[in-house]
Order: sequence, then structure tokens, then C-alpha cells
Amino acid sequence: MMKQWKLKEIVLMSIFGVVFAVIYLLFYFFGQGLRNFLTPFGLAPFGYEVIFGIWFIVSIIAAYVIRKPGAAFWSELIAGTVQVLIGSPAGPRLIISAAIQGLGAEVVFAATRYRNFSLYVLVLAGMSAAVFSYAWGWFQSGLAALTPGLIAATFAVRVLSGALLAGLLGKYISDQLAQTGVLRGYALGKELQEKREKEAS
Amino acid sequence: MISSVNPAVKMVAIIIPGVLLSFSFDIFTPLTYLIFIVAFTFLFSSIPVKKWLLVFTPFVFLALGFAWMTTLYTSDSFSGGRVLFEFWWFEITTGGVMVGISLALRSLCFVALSLMFILTTDSTKFMLSLMQQFKLPPKLTYGILAGYRFLPTFKHEFEVLRQAHRIRGVGRAKGVKGRLRQFRRYAIPLMANAIRKAERVAIAMESKGFTGSHDRTHYHHMSVGKKDWVFFASIVGTFFLVVFTSYQLGYLNIFGRQF
Repeated sequence: MMKQWKLKEIVLMSIFGVVFAVIYLLFYFFGQGLRNFLTPFGLAPFGYEVIFGIWFIVSIIAAYVIRKPGAAFWSELIAGTVQVLIGSPAGPRLIISAAIQGLGAEVVFAATRYRNFSLYVLVLAGMSAAVFSYAWGWFQSGLAALTPGLIAATFAVRVLSGALLAGLLGKYISDQLAQTGVLRGYALGKELQEKREKEAS
Repeated sequence: MISSVNPAVKMVAIIIPGVLLSFSFDIFTPLTYLIFIVAFTFLFSSIPVKKWLLVFTPFVFLALGFAWMTTLYTSDSFSGGRVLFEFWWFEITTGGVMVGISLALRSLCFVALSLMFILTTDSTKFMLSLMQQFKLPPKLTYGILAGYRFLPTFKHEFEVLRQAHRIRGVGRAKGVKGRLRQFRRYAIPLMANAIRKAERVAIAMESKGFTGSHDRTHYHHMSVGKKDWVFFASIVGTFFLVVFTSYQLGYLNIFGRQF
């Protein structure tokens, strides 16, 4: 399954997973705070939804930079696993959630046959990850017991968050990284290099 | 002792009830199982009670908040029973309160299971076990372990960056916009450094003869023995026992359907 991957791409993906696991964990606590802040307004259910997109970002970045089948899925899975290693209170269950979110993003990239990595596809991948994660959350956190109105509202917020925080921000961060030149050995860096050469000639 | 159970087996043993618990919407099932997990944790591990409570207590409050929210926004299929009281546009029913308590207990079950795993598992052994038992590709395993090893160095690198910014007269940012810019100023170089390291590590691994094939020897040999299966059977078996008891007593409720 990873036959066509170079070792340096796998290590890069792992490092992305590790770095974002830390960021994910920080956002977990940030979400907790946000939720406590919103509770007096009766908006507590939206505390996590607003920032939910951040939890899909590594899929987008890894897929956009490496551009190989499985990048979105594996990077998210690694981020989930490393969160368990660091000691996230959510525990091993997180590995399943991560796999499902990663799958959500991967589906979109697979649909383009890993050829199209435009902003529009990245945003769509973020939204797809949000849809998958919501379906899983519906099952796991017992959202079935909540009113349909609230479910629809939180769902919309999560998808929007997936589009902005994962899709847009993911592309922005990757482009910024490519500009530093460190990605020269990977697909995104090579693309940038080619573009520059074309402009120069 | 739980800490000597094979980590991969332990993970599966914890995930199975963790997933299946999501089907129950009654109070009896998660409550009984929670008591079992807590008892099991303290009987078979050397986790200090104080440390465990320190991590667990915040989640009790979180679960209470979640219960309250569920009670307020219960859907029609669950909000049966008497109306206890009303305020503003909310109607608190017995059904809503029951579901709220059930979901809170469920989340506490998850936390107790997770703590049992986290507080008794060595992270390196967990990765090695995933590779040796679940055939996770060695390329991935060692890639993750290498990345994991870099975590402590990030803090140091962050300090260096901060000092470098200071010495060039870049002070602390003010306002939301400044904060965002500051975040970018730290995040991009930190990540760029991480990427450089990833490349270097990969080259080093290859130059030392790492091929990533499964056919290799291991310094730490992780094995699955009788003890691991006993652990697996007691965690998963008890779960089914609890569900069965709950069914016998007529408490079992799966997605709002009473059995």
C-alpha cells in the first residue's frame, strides 16, 4: 500500500502528524474554554463546532504537500495515535475518530484521482471530513437524543469550520511553508519550483 | 497487572466496549460498567488514587455540563415522561433527564477506560506493539517514533526563535491581528525546521540500511500471551455481561428503543 512512497515522504507525514497532534491537543483545551465561555448564553454545543475544522487540517496539508494516495488518511490517523501517546484524555477511541475524519478527506482526493489539488478541492476535502466526523459523532456522543434543529445548526457550523479552518488555512500554511523552500523535495515544492522557472524564462 | 498487558491487545480491548457503549441510552448499563472499570483499574494497576482523581475530576464537571445540555435539547423521541418543570422555552421532562444522565455516564466510562490505557502504557512499546502485532509498516512506525522523539526539542527551538526575535527588536504583539501575525512568525519557521529534520532523519535511516521490510529483527520483542487474553476477556466479557444483566432487568435501551 505504501510501495510507491519514499521514506522521506513517510517521515515527513509522520512529523506532520506529531506536530499537529500537539496542536490538536492544545485546541482540545481551547475548545473546552470556549465552551465554558459560551455556556451562559446557552450556546455551549457550538463551543467545539466553531473550531472543529482545525482537527482535519493535517489531512489537507499532508495531501496537498505529498500528493500520494493515502496521505490524507494516514496523516490524520498518525495525529490521532500520537495524541493518544502524548496522553489525550479522549483515549484510544480517538484513533477511530481520526481514521474516520481522514477517510472523509481522502475520499475527495481519491475522487479527483489525486490529480487536482486546487483550493476548491482542498475546501471540499475539509467539508467532507466534517461530514464524516459528524456522522461518527452522531453515533458516538449520542447526538440522536438532541433536537433536530440543534443538530442541523451544529452540523452547518462544523462543515463551515471544516471548509475554512481545514481547507483554506491548510492551503495557506502549506503555501507559506513551500515559500521557505524546505519542501523542494516534495510534490508541492516541485510544483512551485516549476512555476518559478516558467515565470523566469 | 494492566501495565504489562500487550499494548495492542489492550487498545482493542478498550476500543470495543468504547464503541459498543454508544448504543446504550439507559442509565444502568454505563453506570454498572463505570463502577467495574474503576474497580478494575485500582485492583490491577499501581496508579496512585490521587493522580487518577486529579485527571478524572474535571471530566465529572464536563459530563455534568453535557448532561445539562442534553436535558435542555432532548429530541422528541427521547423526551417522554412527566414534565418536571419549565422555564423560558425549555421543558424539562423525566425522559430528558434520564438521557442526559445516561450520556454523561457514558462519557465518564470513556474517560475511565482511556485513563486505564494512558496511565499504564509506555508510548514506545505501544508503537512497537502496533508494528509487531498489527503489521503496521516499519517505515511508518519508526517515522512516528522519530517524530515523537523530536517533540521535546520543539520547546527548545521555540525559545531560540523567541530570543532571536527579541534581539532584533521584535517585541510582544498586541491585539488580535498582531497575535495572528506573531503566531505565523513562530509557526512557519518551527514547521520548516521540522520538515528539514524529517528529511535528514529519512536520509540517515536509509544510509544505515533501513529498508522498511517486515522481515527484520527486533530489540524489544512484543508478544501476546495468556495474560493478555485474560485481560481482553475480562474487559470485553464484562461489558457483554453488563448488557445482558441490563436486558434481564428490563433497563436496556438502544437508541431510544426499550428492550
